[in-house]
Parts: sequence; structure tokens; C-alpha cells
Amino acid sequence: MKKLFTPKVRSVLILALLVAVAISIVSVVTPATDGGTNFIQTILSPFRSAGSALMRQAERYYNYVFNYEALQAENEALQARIMEMEDEVRSADSLQRENERLRQLAKLTQEHEDYELTSAYIVSWDASNWKSTFSIGKGTNSGIDAGMVAITEYGQVVGLVTDAGSNWATITTVLDSSLEISASVASTGYNGIVEGSYATGEEGLLRMDYLPTDSVLRNNDQVVTTGSTVYPRGLIIGYISDADFDETGVAKYAILTPAADLDDLEQVFIITAYENT
Amino acid sequence: MLKQLHLTRRQWLGILKWTLYALFFLFVMIVQTVILARLPIFGIKLTLVPLVLVCVCIREGPERGGVFDLLASTVWCLSGADYGNLSIVLLTFCAVLSSVLCIAVLLRSFWTGAVCCLLTMVIHEGGILLFKVLLGRIAPSNLWRVVLPGVALSMLAYPLIYLIVKLIGKTGGDHGV
Repeated sequence: MKKLFTPKVRSVLILALLVAVAISIVSVVTPATDGGTNFIQTILSPFRSAGSALMRQAERYYNYVFNYEALQAENEALQARIMEMEDEVRSADSLQRENERLRQLAKLTQEHEDYELTSAYIVSWDASNWKSTFSIGKGTNSGIDAGMVAITEYGQVVGLVTDAGSNWATITTVLDSSLEISASVASTGYNGIVEGSYATGEEGLLRMDYLPTDSVLRNNDQVVTTGSTVYPRGLIIGYISDADFDETGVAKYAILTPAADLDDLEQVFIITAYENT
Repeated sequence: MLKQLHLTRRQWLGILKWTLYALFFLFVMIVQTVILARLPIFGIKLTLVPLVLVCVCIREGPERGGVFDLLASTVWCLSGADYGNLSIVLLTFCAVLSSVLCIAVLLRSFWTGAVCCLLTMVIHEGGILLFKVLLGRIAPSNLWRVVLPGVALSMLAYPLIYLIVKLIGKTGGDHGV
């Protein structure tokens, strides 16, 4: 067995250790994206975009077939007509969804004229069970940079751009425990800090900490961003679903259901500029 | 063409084999991040990359397989994997050790490969969990709540990955070490 650990094998193992240490040091020392990551992500981004587009197409076909079968059972007389309109429906479905999103977005930009938005499709999700991040197929070439906020067409917070390359960007969602957002309860004005509980066993929920002991919290109360250099004021984070005293007993916390439906998210809008008043 | 490049047929087949291994690894990586990460099964995301690396290393031996694993796990790390630097060490060590064990003690068969893959998955996913637990980010109970079911579900893809790696290995004209 000892013979099998030849000098070459030992070199590979030592090299693995050195590469891991080097990458760790580079990621700690340089806060910006390192060259290696940028290179790999830039190469992977078109492949991920293609894979993601194929998946969206497959989903549309699946949904189409499912709906078609239901219609057929409901009214056989319409079968011939449905067959004729098959192609139109397929293409119209995706256009309609995009149209709806853009209409909502137009409403949002009317309300917040200072927002400059860039839309992007999600191309991949993080494979880890402990992290809630995803990649989009646009990056610094489209004006997207780390520290920008991602929202839905309804103005719901999706997350924060934490890494960006020329044709890709990584967005850490509000569900990730590494993200902390200064927030307030819209109806009462109580302030607190919202963070994700993705890795703590309460996936899909948020936690709002440091609420005053005497605060009165009601179910479905809207929680919005208070406004900072990163997050514009008034973006919807989530709705209160539960509340209690925290572990210290000197403050309250609330459990929130995120406003954005992250499971069905296809497209996000990045706020590339806004007036910080 | 082969003469112009001064490559023998055997060398040419070797290049083809390693290119196919690399493409298969990239394909699995994209499937994992684009499809499987989007569609968790019972709320758990599957991990297939370690299975590919262990299968290739067992098939190609600790030297050549180890170099491939080192390069592939570095790409995996740089593609934004969670605790990717830990993955470089754990995956390369486990895959090389699996390969050495298969040559020295065990037969290089479907079942020994399955055991090696299972152990690698437990060590890799468990290692990342341990790191997160030590940093106080998650509870140790996630070992049987997320890690072990995730490993068990991911292992369902092992027969297919084993078969594809075996087919690619045969493309090179040899039958591994």
C-alpha cells in the first residue's frame, strides 16, 4: 500500500492542500472577485444560460401539455381548434408572462422614478444545502455590480448582488443567513434587523430581531426596508407570521414569510442606481 | 492529421478520453447547479460532482486520476461552490485514497466503487457541515436531517455515473489501471 503513494501521488495531495490554502488566503485578502473565479464564472455563464433556457422551455412544454390535457377532457369539441392554436399558445405564454412582468415593472418605475433597473434571468442556483444564492446571466457589462439590490417586478426584495463578473453575477437571497437588512414594520414603524434562516432549520422564513419589548406585532403586518446606502427605502421584505421574546428576554423577534416567491423566480430586476434621500 | 501532430493513435485516444471526462464533469456540474439546485428532492439538493471525481480516480488510478480530481475540484471551487476550498482538499484526498484502496485491498468493481463514493460523500458533506457547525452557523442535527438523506439520494445517480465513466474510460483504449 505504501508503494502506491508514489512521489507523484504525494505531490498531488500536497498540491491540493496548497491550492486550497492559496484560494482561502486570496479570498480573505482581496474582497473583490479574484481572477480565477472570474475566469471560470465567465466561461461557465453562457453554458449555464443555455441550460437554464432549456429548462425553462421544458417547463413551458410540461405546463402546456398538462393544461392541454385538462382542456381536452373538459371540452372535446374544442380539440381541433386547440391543435391549430398550439404554436401560438406556446409562444404567447412566455410573451404574456414577460409582458405582465414588464407591466408591473412600469408601475414600479412610475412610483419610484429614481430607480434605474436592469432585468436579468436566473441561470443557476447554488448546489449547497446551506446557502441560498443564485447566478444571473448579466454582469458588469450591463452595469450590475456587487452591493446592488435585486427585486421582483412588484418591488419585493429578492437579495443582494454579492459578486459580479463581466457576464455573470451572484445574488445572495434574503433567505441566506449571511444577509442582514435594516427593516421596519410598515404599519407601526418598529425597527429591527431582518436576516435569513436558510441554514438554521427554518428554510424559507426570515427572522426580524431587536424589536422593542413593548411592540405590538400582528400577523401579516408588512415589513419594509428602512433605507440605507445599499437598500432603497420602502421595498417589501416580507410579512409577519409569528412573534415572541428572543433568547435574552429583553427584545422581541418576529418570523417573516418572504414577500418574494423565490421558488418560482425566473427573472429579477437589479436596482443599478437610486436617489438615497 | 495525427502524423502532423506527431501523436500516436494511443496518445490521440488518450486525449479524447480526458476531454470526454472533462466535458462529462462540466455537464454534471451544470446539471447540478442549473437543474438539481432548482428542484430539491424532499427539500434536499443533490450533489453529484464527488461521484464523478471518485469514479474517474478509481478508474484511472491515483496518479492521473488525482491530477484530474485536483483540477476538477479547483474548477468546482472557483465556480462558486460553498466552501469550495475545503472541497479541493477533501475530494482530492478521498478520491486518491479510494483509488489506492481499490488497487491495494479491494477489487475495482461496481460495488467497491459504490462504497468509496458513499464514504467520500459522507466525508465531504459531513466535513462542510462540521465546518459550519464549528462556526456556529448551523445545528449538528442537520447531519441526519439533511446530510445523510442527501448522500443517500445522491447515491441513486451512482450507477449511471459509474456506467458513463466506464464507457469513457474504454474510449481511451485501455481499461484503467
